[in-house]
Amino acid sequence: MVPFYLLFPVAILAGFVGAMSGMGGGIILIPALTLLGVDIKQAIAISILSVIATSSGSASAYVRDHITNLKIGMFLEMFTILGALAGAAITLAISPRPLYIAFGFVLLGSWLALLIAGHESWHEGAQDSISNWLELEGSYFDQAQGAIISYRARRAYLGAPLMFGAGIIAGLLGIGAGAVKVLIQDLIMGLPPKVSTTTSNLIIGVTALAGTSVYLVHGLINPGLAAPVVVGVVVGAFVGTRVLVRISNRSVRQFFLIILIALAVEMLFRGIRGS
Amino acid sequence: MAENSNSSADLAMNSAPQGQQKMDLLVGYLLLCGVLLSMALIISGMVWRFIRIGQLSVSQKLAGMNLFEFVVSEARIVLADRLRPRTLIACGIAVLMLTPYLRVLASMLYFMFALKNWKYTLFTAIVLGVLTFSLFIR
Repeated sequence: MVPFYLLFPVAILAGFVGAMSGMGGGIILIPALTLLGVDIKQAIAISILSVIATSSGSASAYVRDHITNLKIGMFLEMFTILGALAGAAITLAISPRPLYIAFGFVLLGSWLALLIAGHESWHEGAQDSISNWLELEGSYFDQAQGAIISYRARRAYLGAPLMFGAGIIAGLLGIGAGAVKVLIQDLIMGLPPKVSTTTSNLIIGVTALAGTSVYLVHGLINPGLAAPVVVGVVVGAFVGTRVLVRISNRSVRQFFLIILIALAVEMLFRGIRGS
Repeated sequence: MAENSNSSADLAMNSAPQGQQKMDLLVGYLLLCGVLLSMALIISGMVWRFIRIGQLSVSQKLAGMNLFEFVVSEARIVLADRLRPRTLIACGIAVLMLTPYLRVLASMLYFMFALKNWKYTLFTAIVLGVLTFSLFIR
């Protein structure tokens, strides 16, 4: 049993860093919990439960600001939840070592994505007939530009199967996999960045629920462990989103690059050596 | 005929965003209330336990059961008047898990009754069906 005085601060830190970097708490929480001696499958199960809380909490604000596109969210959810069920089933079936390695690669991928992150401006493109039939369009008020931005999503036929893949990663590793979901909506479906990040946030909650229910049935959610972690992550995320405005983007990025690469090496090392 | 369809399209354009905005508020507040209630339950369970036992860590195992069995077993404890800190924590976890579920249910009903959008009623019904299945897995 991991003592409360270790568990709670670690959860707060994970939620804080996750919110500050925009990558969600799970990606820090799971390596940290395994370092404290928690079994990786239990860590994954508890992390995905806490993802429901952080995603729903932040989604509630974005939805009320009318930035999130509910239709695009609901359409893509059909695919992510199936992926999450499959992913969680795989986690239950395999041994821990490949999980460490897969997690190490996801951390490496996030590190790379952060390193080469370019800020491509968003361009409106022509909509195909399938996306049009699916009513994947909307508008929101952009505060930075002081204007109403209208947009139409495209290539839903590519976005949907890719979202199934994002769901598998989420269910398998107990993370929101928000970065993957945002990438699909940005690059494939051509959504404005604000819409894709907030809509991805909404999808994450339901996707995490599908994964959580699989882990719950298999007795991997221990309320004694989950309670302080969920509360800690939510508190950390709450503070993290408010600090974000005060710290310069550059220092956040530097700090996060170091943490990500350290955790990636550590997880890969444990996966290869066998802990 | 052409004019008719034009004006009805205009009407749809004007009314849809408003209906959509109400739906945004419904979904937004539902999510917020769910998370706040669940946090309140979990924290009060932890504080209550600390006051009674002087210890914050709970070692409590959940032998594999799905969410509905979980809710029923916790409800039995509450009805039998054996409310304990761990019951509050378990209820908090159940509320947390039901929050996105209720969000999907509310959206489906809204698409069905308020917006009369059958396409999206079907899509949300599929999501709800898969989630219900996952909550009943054995």
